[in-house]
Amino acid sequence: MFIDLLIMLVMAYGFGFLYYGLYRNISARVHGRFGPSLAQSFYDSIKLFTKDTSTDFGWMFFAGPIIMASGAILTVLFIPYFNHGERLVGLSPYGNLIVVLYFMVLGPLGNALGVGSHGNPFGAMGITRGLTRLLGLEMPFYIAVVGLMIANESADIGTIMANQAETYNIIAHPLLFIAAFISFLGFLGKSPFDVVGAPQEVYSGPAVEFGGKFLALALSQSAIFSFAKLLLMVDLFLGGADSLWDLILKTFVLFVASVFVGNVYGRFTTAQSVDFLLKVPTVIAIVGLLFV
Amino acid sequence: MKNLQKTYEVTQKVERLFEVTVTQTDFWEAVLYISTQTEFNTLSQIACADWIEEEHFLLTYILTTDARDKNLMLKLTLGREYESMPSVMTLFPQAEVMERDLHEMYGIGFEGNETLYDFVLEQWHDLPPLRREFDTLAFVHEHFAFKGGREDNKDVKVEQKRRREEAKKQKALEAAKQEAKKQETEKQETEKPKEPNTHATDAEETQDKKPDTKEAEDGQ
Amino acid sequence: MQKGFVAYNNEQKSLEAETEGIKNSQTLIQKAMNWFSARSMFVVAYGTGCGAIEMPPVFTSRYDIERLGVVGVATPRQADIMIVSGYCSLKTLRRVIRTYEQMSEPKYVIALGSCTINGGMYWDSYNTIKKLEEYIGVDMYVAGCMPRPEALIEGFVKLQESIRNNTIQPGYVKYREDYAYYQANQEKLLGKETQPVYEEDYAGMNLS
Repeated sequence: MFIDLLIMLVMAYGFGFLYYGLYRNISARVHGRFGPSLAQSFYDSIKLFTKDTSTDFGWMFFAGPIIMASGAILTVLFIPYFNHGERLVGLSPYGNLIVVLYFMVLGPLGNALGVGSHGNPFGAMGITRGLTRLLGLEMPFYIAVVGLMIANESADIGTIMANQAETYNIIAHPLLFIAAFISFLGFLGKSPFDVVGAPQEVYSGPAVEFGGKFLALALSQSAIFSFAKLLLMVDLFLGGADSLWDLILKTFVLFVASVFVGNVYGRFTTAQSVDFLLKVPTVIAIVGLLFV
Repeated sequence: MKNLQKTYEVTQKVERLFEVTVTQTDFWEAVLYISTQTEFNTLSQIACADWIEEEHFLLTYILTTDARDKNLMLKLTLGREYESMPSVMTLFPQAEVMERDLHEMYGIGFEGNETLYDFVLEQWHDLPPLRREFDTLAFVHEHFAFKGGREDNKDVKVEQKRRREEAKKQKALEAAKQEAKKQETEKQETEKPKEPNTHATDAEETQDKKPDTKEAEDGQ
Repeated sequence: MQKGFVAYNNEQKSLEAETEGIKNSQTLIQKAMNWFSARSMFVVAYGTGCGAIEMPPVFTSRYDIERLGVVGVATPRQADIMIVSGYCSLKTLRRVIRTYEQMSEPKYVIALGSCTINGGMYWDSYNTIKKLEEYIGVDMYVAGCMPRPEALIEGFVKLQESIRNNTIQPGYVKYREDYAYYQANQEKLLGKETQPVYEEDYAGMNLS
């Protein structure tokens, strides 16, 4: 059991950073550059863990990244990796989809607590943008997930996965998938929904005062968290994974789709992204709900 | 423009640049009149020159029209010993920064401008650096240390002169060479034209000869 | 070090001469840490002078320094390297010192252009500093007026080499151990307040 949890975490860390390296590489090719090596994100992470921290704004400042990281880790532990398997299911027998949705909000809240304790205005601006955007993101995602719960008459991720043995939810409920996918793009924090940490506007936003080990923690949790979201999307709409290769293939396809969307579209402002999220995907999700 | 010429003596410097000189006491009246009654209603710059030999500053307020097609220089002289001027901020709000700059660089006071504190130079306790009695080199040598490596520096002007002369000599040499070459080529050219002529005459001769031979053949 | 764009001259030698023999006295973990910090560099590019124009091509598509692991970041808290690009006026120097002290160790400084070495063409200016290394720790000089982006890239490569092999004593170690010297220099030039004070707003009102 504990070995399973450890393997799940290590896999999430590894795949998260590997995909982030791929994202940097693909973006570089789009720009006409060579881009860094695939392992560059690992180097960054390890180097940041060996750095000193020169800031001190009280204990809440240090607790913020830790709450954030624990939110990401709990999210990934409550999502089963494989379809009807006994290994790598983590804590999912003890919790359901509602718990996962709850933990997904824990990270940004912890971030807000940490950022609020230092007086940097750019951090406050960034976190305000982040929480406002979260308001828009949650609506379509929750509606889509509620639709799936109604259709399956269960909130258990394992049951939802098992019910997709014949047809995947992406075919059975395409409108719900579209709504959830747009929202998922926002959760990943990549363009066009990357206004939170825009380096040219708010100087990397919530992370503006984090350096050294705490930045490393923030980067690691974001890698783990993005892999957790990929997993959740695969579990809910692509029927889960039967084997390791299946898992890699499905998460990779979803990831590449999000990368291409991110490289094509420019950045939305906060108001634009909330506007867009509350209009387009929410309406799609509600229409999809009618077909359930 | 006609208004202006009625009241002030206007000299035209270039096609679209005019000049009015006033005294320090008349300045406020003049700038008020010009900005309200004539077409020069915008301030674009305040320039200052330090005439240390004549012991005054020469202040130039450059005013423009709405269409930006004409400029008026409003000139006045001001004593060097930290005297002050009336601020024109009430007429032109943009004058705030220019006056602040002049205050910092020359030590001129402006009555009515409340922002005359540190601007570009932060916590500057020395003389205002653009006054000409401020010795820049002495200040630099007092406050900064130099690294070794500048000892073999040459005086730029001397070196420039030397290089220019060298380049002149080089040019003269090259010109002489080229002339020599030209003369050679001219000589060759004068000799050359004969050769094609001789060839031509040869060809003509051969051509002339051929019919002869033909005729001779015919004759045979 | 072979001859290249980076001026391997007296300035650079003076940074390296003091530390022969540090190289062999490090543990395996320190070696690994050095390798990682050489492989991944977060840069805060402080555009003080004309060198700011030479940096965008280095970080974007034309020269693409990201393939060496060098990434630009927005705040000094996250940065490993500061580039001081060109002349530094007295007002800027206060900000440079504050930025430098906000960075967390290990941190390095690349001084770009002749002005940071010996004043450059501003050698007789009352308002620009002459030697940057008197006020903060400097690890790499890239000479030139202005150095081309290739020179800056070579500066990065040489700095990575020297971090990996530990051939220079890093500037931050000197700054920490010899802080009295640096502070005396800073105070001689800037007065007691060596870092910017933001007490007055635009209209001259006292905020505090």
